[in-house]
Amino acid sequence: MFLSNLVQKAQQLIDPATLPGPLANLTTPSSRPSKAQLFRHQFRLPDTQNPLYEITAELTLPESKSPRRFHTSQGQTKSWDKSNWDRGPGIHYVGQLHLSEQFLCFSTVHSSFVSTASTSASSAYTGRTNGTGPAGNGFTLPLCAVRRVERLHTPSHEFALSITTWNGYEPRSDSKPDASPAPPKLIVQLEGSRQQCDRFCDGLKKGLRQGIREVEGMRTVTADCYSEYFLATDFDRPAADSTIEKEKEPPDTGLGSIFRYPGNSRKLRDRSKMRLWHEYLRENGRNCTLVRQPDFHRLVRVGLPNLLRGEMWELTSGGFYLRLQKPKQYQETLAKFEGEGSLAIDEIEKDLNRSLPEYAGFQSEEGIGRLRRVLTAYSWTNPEVGYCQAMNIVVAALLIYVSEKQAFYLLSTLCDRLLPGYYSQTMYGTLLDQRVFESLVEKTMPIIWDHLQKNDVQLSVVSLPWFLSLYINSMPLIFAFRVLDVFFLEGPKVLFQVGLAILRVNGEELLDATDDGTFISVLKSYFARLGESAHPKSENPKHRAITNFQALMVVAFKEFDGITQHTISEQRSKHKAAVMENIESFAKRTSIRNLGPESKKLSQNDLGFLYDRFYAVLYERSQRAQILQVEAERKAKASRAARGPDEIVAAAPEMGRVALGGAANGTAMEYDAFREFLAGVAKWAVTDSPSSPVRGGDEAEKQRGNGGYFGSVRSRSLPSTINPWGSGPEPADHDFMQRLFAKWDSDHMGALTLQNVVYGFAAVKGNRDIMSSISYFFSLYSDSDGDGGKVDREGILRISEALLFLSRRGVPGGPPPSPVVNGEGEAKVQSKDEQFLGAVSAFIRRCFEYADPDHAANQAASGVSLLDVSDDNDGDDDASSKPASEDSILARPSTNTFGQTSASRHVSANAALDPGSPVHITLPTFRMLVLADETLEAFFDSGFANSFNLVDAPVPSSTITSSSPFLGGNAFSGGGFSGSSGVSAAQPAISPGGAGAGVVGPGKGLRGMLDNIVTDGMRVAAEVRRRMDEAQKELDRGGGGGVGGEEDEGEEHAGDLLEGAEAMESRSAKSVEGVIEPVAGSASASVLEEARDGKGSTMFER
Amino acid sequence: MTDSAAPAAPKPSSSVKLVLLGEAAVGKSSLVLRFVNNEFQPNKEPTIGAAFLTQKCQLPNRTIKFEIWDTAGQERFASLAPMYYRNAQAALVVYDVTKASSITKAKHWVAELQRQASPGIVIAFVGNKVDLCDDDAPEGEAAEGGEAEGEEDATVRKVSFKEAKAYAEEENLLFFETSAKTGHNVSEVFTAIANAIPETSLKTSRGAATGAGTQAAISAGQDGSKVNLNARGGDKPQEGCAC
Ligand SMILES: Nc1nc2c(ncn2[C@@H]2O[C@H](COP(=O)(O)OP(=O)(O)O)[C@@H](O)[C@H]2O)c(=O)[nH]1
Ligand SMILES: [Mg+2]
Repeated sequence: MFLSNLVQKAQQLIDPATLPGPLANLTTPSSRPSKAQLFRHQFRLPDTQNPLYEITAELTLPESKSPRRFHTSQGQTKSWDKSNWDRGPGIHYVGQLHLSEQFLCFSTVHSSFVSTASTSASSAYTGRTNGTGPAGNGFTLPLCAVRRVERLHTPSHEFALSITTWNGYEPRSDSKPDASPAPPKLIVQLEGSRQQCDRFCDGLKKGLRQGIREVEGMRTVTADCYSEYFLATDFDRPAADSTIEKEKEPPDTGLGSIFRYPGNSRKLRDRSKMRLWHEYLRENGRNCTLVRQPDFHRLVRVGLPNLLRGEMWELTSGGFYLRLQKPKQYQETLAKFEGEGSLAIDEIEKDLNRSLPEYAGFQSEEGIGRLRRVLTAYSWTNPEVGYCQAMNIVVAALLIYVSEKQAFYLLSTLCDRLLPGYYSQTMYGTLLDQRVFESLVEKTMPIIWDHLQKNDVQLSVVSLPWFLSLYINSMPLIFAFRVLDVFFLEGPKVLFQVGLAILRVNGEELLDATDDGTFISVLKSYFARLGESAHPKSENPKHRAITNFQALMVVAFKEFDGITQHTISEQRSKHKAAVMENIESFAKRTSIRNLGPESKKLSQNDLGFLYDRFYAVLYERSQRAQILQVEAERKAKASRAARGPDEIVAAAPEMGRVALGGAANGTAMEYDAFREFLAGVAKWAVTDSPSSPVRGGDEAEKQRGNGGYFGSVRSRSLPSTINPWGSGPEPADHDFMQRLFAKWDSDHMGALTLQNVVYGFAAVKGNRDIMSSISYFFSLYSDSDGDGGKVDREGILRISEALLFLSRRGVPGGPPPSPVVNGEGEAKVQSKDEQFLGAVSAFIRRCFEYADPDHAANQAASGVSLLDVSDDNDGDDDASSKPASEDSILARPSTNTFGQTSASRHVSANAALDPGSPVHITLPTFRMLVLADETLEAFFDSGFANSFNLVDAPVPSSTITSSSPFLGGNAFSGGGFSGSSGVSAAQPAISPGGAGAGVVGPGKGLRGMLDNIVTDGMRVAAEVRRRMDEAQKELDRGGGGGVGGEEDEGEEHAGDLLEGAEAMESRSAKSVEGVIEPVAGSASASVLEEARDGKGSTMFER
Repeated sequence: MTDSAAPAAPKPSSSVKLVLLGEAAVGKSSLVLRFVNNEFQPNKEPTIGAAFLTQKCQLPNRTIKFEIWDTAGQERFASLAPMYYRNAQAALVVYDVTKASSITKAKHWVAELQRQASPGIVIAFVGNKVDLCDDDAPEGEAAEGGEAEGEEDATVRKVSFKEAKAYAEEENLLFFETSAKTGHNVSEVFTAIANAIPETSLKTSRGAATGAGTQAAISAGQDGSKVNLNARGGDKPQEGCAC
C-alpha cells in the first residue's frame, strides 16, 4: 500500500505532458524499462550512453581463415578492396546498427531503441536475451577503438562503410610480421534513405572526433586484458619460447595464476579451448573490438578457459565498459577512503576468513587483501548497498580469475545492473526473484509445485542461496563458474533456467521428499554428483561421458529455452507490489518496535502514520532531487544526458524502505525535509506565500539573521516544471520550526532520524499535562536544558512570534469564544483568533513586566519595583486614552479581554525592555504568565499538541471543554469586523519593517480578514523587535556605558515603546515559584476574570 | 508424513521445525553447532540466508527430530526471517548476556514471532555466553540461589538473569542462560523445547495444525533436567547444509 502510494505520488510529481524528451519516461514504472535502458542492457553499456541513432544495416565479415570447429563456412574468402567492393564474399549479418555517445553497436537481434520508435517495436523482442545481454551476432565498439571509417565506392543506392579498428594496426613485433594478421575491417552497409544514412554518418563522425581523446585511456584499460598478451604471440609458439615476448609481463589473471585455477585443466580441456579462442580472437578482434559470431556464444557455453575467463566475464557483463569509462575509479576510491572505517567494513572484516576458505588463495594474505579491497571500495562507491553477506563469496570467486581492479567493476555491474536489489538493505531483489522463481516452478512443473505445497516445503529457503551467491556456494566451484560464464553473457534469466533445470532433473527424488531436510539433502547430494556421469549405465560411451552438469545445462537451455529475460521482467512486475508490501510491513513493524520506550507515548496508529510520512517525505524528496538533477544535466549538455531518467525509477523502490538497517544512509531528515514533513501534519507549517525558497547555505543564514519570519523572500531559483515541494503544500520557514528541529535533533546530527521525530512528537503530544507542555515549549527558547534555564529578551520576543505563528490559522481545541462586552455595551462573540492575538499581546507585555534582571545586583531592586506595581493593579483605563498608537494595537481595545485594563506606566516594565539591562524570564515565570491567560492555557493544555495532526483523534483537552469549531458562528459579523478594520487603519502607523508576510489582502472575505488579524499580530511583534533593535543601536552608539545595564537613554526609548503598558499582577515572580497549579477553576472564563480583578492572587495559591 | 517412524522403532518420531533468531554474533550458530556436533569452533561456512541442520532429541516416550534453521547474522537478512519462521513450531531467540543491546533485539524478535509466526510456536528465550560472566552461570533449577544481584556488578554481564527471566515469564517463554562454549544448558534448551511441543501438534503434519492451545510456559528449571538427551553421537542424524 505504501509502495503504491509512493508510486502514485511519484507519478503525481511529474506531469508527463510537460516533460520533454527522455524525462517523459519517468512515469514508466520500473517494470517497463525505457528504451534507453534496454539499449544499455542489450549492449552492456554504462548509464551514460543513450541511443542516438539507429539504422538497419548489413554487417559483412571476412570468411574465417582457419578451419572451423563448429561452423561451416557460408562463402569464400576474397580480397578486400575498397575501390571495388563486392558484397559477395564473407559472412553477412543483417541487424540493427546503433550509435550512442561513445559506442557503435551492432546486433542481429532486431530491436529498436531510439525514443522516436514506436513502443511496439521495442517491446516486441524476440531472440535469446530480450535486450539484456549482448545477444546475437554483432559488436559493441567504443568509438575510441575505431581507427578509420571509409565510405566505400558503391552503386549510388548503396551506402557502405568500412570500419578499421585499432587492433588491426597494433604494431607487431617486427620480427614476426606474420605472427598475427590484422583483424579484418568491418564492412557495414547501411540500409535506409539517403538522408537517414547521412544523419547516421554525421553522428558517427562527431562521436569519432570526440573519441580521439579517449584513445590513450583505452590503451591502458586494454593493457589489463589477457587477450592483448595472448595474441601477441603465436599460439603454438608460446611466449616462453620466444625471447622477444619474454620481457612482457602477462596481465593479472586473478589468484588462479598464483594459487592454481580450480579443477583439472586437462579434464577441462583448457588448452584446446585456448587454441580455439586464439583463433577466434585473432580473426574477430579482441577486448573492445571483439565481434560476436555464433562461435563466440558456443565457446562461452562450453566453458571459458582459465586465462581468458576474467576478460570474457568483463566483456560480456559490461564491467569492461564501466572500467573503460572510469578507469581510475577503483584506485581513487581506495585512496580517498584510506584508513576510514564504516559499518560495512566491520562486516566485511568478519567474513574475510570465511569466503571460499577451501581455496588456497583465500588462506593467504594476498587473497584476503584483494577481497578486502574490492569489497571495501565497492561499499564506498555504493553506501546504500554497502556490504551484504554473499558478496564476499561472489567476489572471492571472481578474484580467482580477474584482477582486483576488474573484480571491482564486475561487482559494480553485478550489484547495480545484473542483480538489482539483491544485496540492498532490504534485499528486495532477492525476495522478488524468489517469488518469481516460485511462480515459474509452479508454471513449468506443477506436479513438483503441488508436492511442495502439500508438504509445506518452502522452495525459496532452498533456492535463495542459489541466486544470492550465483550457485557459487551450492555447486562445486568449477561448475558454478560454468554457470557464471553464461550468466554474464545472457543475463539473470540464466539463474532461473539453471534453477528450474535442477528441480526438473531431480524431480522424482524430490517428489519423495516430504520435509525441508530431505529436500535439501536430495539437492545437496545432487550437487556433489555434478561431475559424475549422467548415464553411467549406458552402453554408449558417448552417453556415459556426459556429466550430470552437462545434462543440467542442456535441460536449462533447451527445455527452459522459453524462459527469457522478458518472462522474468513480466513476472517481476507482477509480483513486485506484493513482495514490496511484505518487506515494507516487516520493516515498518521492526522499525516501530525498535523505536524505544518514549515511542510508547504515541499510539500504534500514530507511529505507523509517522513512519509512513517520514519515509514518504524522504522518498519523494530524493525522487524530486534526482529528477531535477537529471533535468539540470540534460539542460547542461543537451544531447548528452548523463544519467538515464529510467534508472531513477528502477532505483526507486529501494528508497523509503531502508528503515531496516537503522543506521542506513539516507534515512535522516534534514531541515528542509523536516519543514516539508511538518507542512503535512500541521496547518501552521504551511507557508503563507507560496514561493518560499528552499533553504540552504547562506540563504538560510540570511533568513535567520532577518529574524526568521515566514518565508517572505521571493526567489524562484528553480525554473523547472517540477515544484520543489512536490505535490504537498509548501512549507513555511520560521524560527520556531528551526528551534523545534534543533530540539528534536538530540544527537546534533543536523538531521532527524525517525526515532528523533517520534521522540519529538512523543514529547509534544505524548505528555498529557499542561505543565510539561509549558516546560517543553519554554525549553525551546531556554538557554539551558532543564528547569533552571532562562529565556532572555530576544527569546521572549521569539516566543511571542512563535505563538502568533502557530495560531495564525487558528488554534484547535481552545476555549470557546467568550462573550465580551465592549465599550458601547454591545455584546458580541469574540473570535478565537482575536482572543489569541490579544493573549499574546498581553503575554509580551507581562513577560517584560515580570522579567528578572540578569544581574543579581538588580534582583532586589526589581523585586521591589514589582511589588510596587501592585498598587496600580486595578487601574482600568480605557485603552483609547493611551497615547501611543502601537500600544493601542498591542492592547487591542476591541478585541482584548484584559489588555485594556491598565495604563499605568510602570518603571520596571520599561526597564525590562531596556536592551541595556538584560533580563530574562524563568520557567516559573513563564508558567505563571501562561496560566494567567485562559487562551494561552488552553493552547498549552491541548491546542499546541493538537495542532499536529496525526491519525488519531486529537487529544481531548484536559481542563477545558473545547466545543465550538474554529471559525464557527458569526464571529466576524458586525462589530467584530469593525474591530478588525480598526486594526487595518492602524497599520500604516507601525511599519512592519518588511517582515510582514505576503498575506491575502483584506478584500478576500473572511479568510483575508483572518490573515490580516494574524499578520497584524506579527507586525506587533515585528514592531517590538524593531524598536528593540533600534534601542540596541542607540545604546551601542551611546558608548560602552551600557554594561551595567542601567542606561537611561535606552530606558527612555523602551519606555516610549510600552508606555502605558499595564501592570496587572502584583506578585513577584519569585513568590509564585513552585506554587502554580493548573487550578480547575481557571477553566471558566468568569473565574479567570474574577481572578484578575484584584483577587487574582487566589489563582496562584493553594 | 514426517512423523511416520520406521516400523521397528518403538517410539514415535516426529519432526519439529525450529528457527534461531537474534542479533548477529550472539552465538546462534555456535549453539546449533554445540547441539548438533557437540563442538565449539568458529564457523567456517558463511551463512547465506540460513543454514539448515538436523538433530534428534530422544524423549522418554518419543523422538523429536529438530529441523533447525539458523538464520544469517547480518542485519539486512532480517527481512528474510519471515521465510524461515513461517510454520516453525519452535524458536530459539538468542541474546548475548554480555551485550545489553542484544536483549532488546531479542525482545523484538519475540514480539515479531508472537504476532507473525504460527500461533502455537514454542519460544525459548536464551541468554548465551554465560561463560564470560565471572558470577558463573546459574544452574537453571537453582536460579534463585545462585543469582545474587550484587555479584553481577563487577562482571562483564550486562543483562541480569532476573530481568531476563522476569521478561520471559511475563511473555510465557522458556528461559535459559547458556554457553555454547562450555556447553552449559545447551541440550537443556532443546530438550525443554521438545517437551513443550504439545503432542497434538506432533501427530498432525508438521506445521499444518499449529498446536492449538500450546502452553510454552514450562519453567526452565523444572523439567529440563529430567529428560536425557541421548541422541548425540548416536545414529549420526546430523547434516549440515551448505546451500
Ligand atoms: N565466550 C563465548 N563465546 C561465544 C559463545 N557462543 C558464541 N561465541 C562467540 O561469539 C561469536 C559469534 O558466534 P556465532 O555463533 O557466529 O554467532 P551468530 O552470528 O549468532 O551465529 C563467535 O566468535 C563465537 O566464537 C559462548 O557461549 N561463549
Ligand atoms: Mg550465524
